[in-house]
Amino acid sequence: MSGALLYVAIAIVLAALLAYLAATRSRDPLAIDQARALMGSLDIEAFRNLVDPDEEAFLRSSLPADQFRAIKRERAWAALAYVRTLSGIALEFSRFGHAARRSPDPHAAELGRQIAAGAIRLRLGALEATGRLFVVATFPDFPQCCPHSLLEQYARSTGLLLHYSTLDRARKQPA
Amino acid sequence: MMPWYKFLLLYLWIAPHVVLAVVAVLLLTRRLYTGFPAFVVYTWYEIGEFVMLFVITVTGLNRGAVYMRVFLVTLAISTALRFGVIQEVFDNVFREHGQVYALAKVSLRWTTGFLLAAVVLCAIFASGQTSGSLIAGAAWVGRGVAIIQCGLVLFLLLFSRVFGLSLQSYVFGIALGFGILSSVELADTAMRTGELTQSMARALNLLSTGGYHVAVLIWLGYLVAPERKILQTSNVPIGGVDQWNRELERFLQ
Repeated sequence: MSGALLYVAIAIVLAALLAYLAATRSRDPLAIDQARALMGSLDIEAFRNLVDPDEEAFLRSSLPADQFRAIKRERAWAALAYVRTLSGIALEFSRFGHAARRSPDPHAAELGRQIAAGAIRLRLGALEATGRLFVVATFPDFPQCCPHSLLEQYARSTGLLLHYSTLDRARKQPA
Repeated sequence: MMPWYKFLLLYLWIAPHVVLAVVAVLLLTRRLYTGFPAFVVYTWYEIGEFVMLFVITVTGLNRGAVYMRVFLVTLAISTALRFGVIQEVFDNVFREHGQVYALAKVSLRWTTGFLLAAVVLCAIFASGQTSGSLIAGAAWVGRGVAIIQCGLVLFLLLFSRVFGLSLQSYVFGIALGFGILSSVELADTAMRTGELTQSMARALNLLSTGGYHVAVLIWLGYLVAPERKILQTSNVPIGGVDQWNRELERFLQ
């Protein structure tokens, strides 16, 4: 019977997990103003600086090897924190885009579809960058490459969001 | 057998199939059979299976081995259909997201392999005392199937959440219903693999039929529930980012 009880315990845990997923699903996606606030909260230039290969080359040439490794490790951890935040923002954009896809306005729905697709690419890019930065933070002698595609995707996503915001404002203005 | 138990068991046998018939009709009237043909087939199949088993019981044929054979064969087909429905939900959720779909397919294969290995290992190391009856044998197989199905549904829901994919209400409902059904069946089949007293067997009859009733109500509930509307609060900690910016500026000076 102890074997059976183990399975019953697994069943209860699984059912509880499913119930949790159902209960937390009802959280509403964020509003356009909050999405824009999130966008503005991330200093993308600082992040770009942290992962810039030229900056790394400059530090390598001007610092002793030990100090360079320590600095590079610190920079990689700081960049990881940025990527984690970027990944969180991508998740919120994705939720926002999926909700906007159901808009009765076909233009807004199409923009929502594009925002969602871009946010998913951004999230995938952030996951990939997390892996790369983690390797660099652990082994600072590994060469670091700039996540150009991630930065470009972020720029595209923010552009789409601004476009949606403009459309939303125009729609709310009295005729 | 106590009259209340008999009444409750009969209710839990008939009522879910009446609700399932409503679900089946709603699927047809809303033309969801184009996106979810396997789920539509599953609902009609379950109704047909119920009618057949009910007729066998009413006509008194259930005293022989006929009922058991029909029950086991229809259960096997039903289990196969459930795998089909899970695959169908998976395709519907991820198909339109190219890169994520490819990643999800690979992850699904690994998850299935992992669950299969877990089922085999559990069968070896946590088998306990097993009865040699036909029901116990079927329960032994059903236990493994329930673990895999519940694991796949959980994977599906968690993976879609990682990428912020919003499932339409009824799609989420179909997956959730199967997840709950599988978890109840896991508990039920795990208990049935051993020797059972009569009172335990009766309690388990209520558990399995009750679990099925809950699953069918979930399908109906999510099918009739209105879709969620756009757009409210956020959970990303903006303060954390500001703090990192300040720290970074200090570091760069």
